[in-house]
Amino acid sequence: MPEHIDPFREDRQQSGVKTATAEGKEVPLVLRLQDIRKTCKDTKTFSNDNPMMIVLHSEAHVRNVRQLPIETDPPEHTDYRALVEPIYRKPQQPEYQAEMRKLVAGMVKNAAANGEVEVVREFAVPLQSRGLAQLLGLPQSEAEIWIGWGVHIFRDAQLGSKGSEVDKYIFSKYEEMQGSDGDDFFSILNRIDFRDRKLTMEEKHGYANMAFAGGRDTVINTISSILVYLAEHPEAIEFLREDEMHITTATEEFVRYVSPVTIISRTCPHATEVLGHQVEAGERIGLCWPSANRDETIFDNPDEVVLDRAPNPHVGFGFGAHNCLGQHQARLIVRSLLHEVCDQLDKIEFIEAVPEIEEESSYSRQVGYKSARIKFVS
Amino acid sequence: MPKVTYVTPSGDEVVVNSDEPNLMQAAVTNQVEGILGDCGGVASCATCHVHIDPQWIDKVGPATDIEQGMLELEDNATDNSRLGCQVKLTPELDGLVVRVVGQ
Ligand code: HEM
Ligand code: FES
Repeated sequence: MPEHIDPFREDRQQSGVKTATAEGKEVPLVLRLQDIRKTCKDTKTFSNDNPMMIVLHSEAHVRNVRQLPIETDPPEHTDYRALVEPIYRKPQQPEYQAEMRKLVAGMVKNAAANGEVEVVREFAVPLQSRGLAQLLGLPQSEAEIWIGWGVHIFRDAQLGSKGSEVDKYIFSKYEEMQGSDGDDFFSILNRIDFRDRKLTMEEKHGYANMAFAGGRDTVINTISSILVYLAEHPEAIEFLREDEMHITTATEEFVRYVSPVTIISRTCPHATEVLGHQVEAGERIGLCWPSANRDETIFDNPDEVVLDRAPNPHVGFGFGAHNCLGQHQARLIVRSLLHEVCDQLDKIEFIEAVPEIEEESSYSRQVGYKSARIKFVS
Repeated sequence: MPKVTYVTPSGDEVVVNSDEPNLMQAAVTNQVEGILGDCGGVASCATCHVHIDPQWIDKVGPATDIEQGMLELEDNATDNSRLGCQVKLTPELDGLVVRVVGQ
């Protein structure tokens, strides 16, 4: 069903905009790569300072805190982001990389020993959770709690919203780590100085809410998509083995191809015009990352997975001031997984898969899988 | 092995002899300040932005269209800007001098 793969093609080619209904408004979605980059750069006209509204549909019913640093604008954003950037860059340290590789190696080994695996809930959710425990400097036993929070913290098809449970957990952790000199996320944020003062509980809550929600469904949908792809394309594993560089380029290509975040919004503080669409003061526009990542004026054969695509100037992780802080973690998880598949497995057998289809007023699009059964064969 | 001098944002000169394939990887391997190479070299992150020394720009060549798309929106971009990951280190570039832009 190609319309699920790139539902934006026609509008991208013709006008560069498509609208979608959200909160009773028609929100213009920016579709072309360079237009998206320009919009990201102009943070005065296109603002992130609109709590609970960063994704297409309001999240006010599942959280009540401004996520940090995403729901702020420069210059505040610059300082908020700088405060946590060292934590989010831990995946660039060699010791951290070795630990992640060990984690993934163990999970692949187990899955191969068990035969059949349901990739989403039995593999991707645990891997994302255990990886996050490592990033946040918390014991692996914590990850076992988070595994119960489902694919999307705020809207899991089977579990509903875990928003209030996650918030309760966050508050109890900051409480527990009061006065601790530990190097975990909660202890660090308890004691760190921000512009010569301590963070308020609301700010600490906003950072943690983002850390748990931001990289959840994105990483999970990317992992399930990759494993199903490798099951359906056995020759791909052989190709990845040929050259170390293929793991790097394939990682970027999977992020481009899957583009697990469909829309991030911006709010216009002043009336403006976007590609012929009038936007009133206070109304929003959307940045459509998957469309930019299929822009045929930039990418040859945009609908094909080209594992050694380079250059590959995708915007799967966003662009500009707010580009994804979790990108280092996401890349490390994917690269480690590809390495371990190459090292340990002969092939991956496809059994069955149910795609996750995002339905909006003007398009529907596949984003990963609801469930997928595969077999790791070593 | 071409020799490259990186002038870092803090003004230090770091000289690197490297058999890495491009300007970004040579810098990352040698921990040159201000070059992060986040995307691994596929021209999607711009954390490898350098200014080529004017004396070398003819040999190195101008930015490609794909680089231009990124660079036209980068602060501190000039006519001599390149993404380090897109500059192949060939023997002709022995002695190259570049300025690291940094964040
Ligand atoms: C494949 C996985 C991922 C994708 C595709 C992705 C995508 C994105 C995108 C498109 C943005 C830009 C938002 C904007 O422009 O306003 C973003 C921001 C962000 N992401 Fe990710 N993300 C991923 C994984 C993660 C992970 C694992 C984490 C955390 C552990 C994370 C945390 C964040 C944070 C904190 C921001 C806000 C940065 C800022 O405002 O300065 N992401 N992400
Ligand atoms: S390393 Fe990412 S653009 Fe050069």
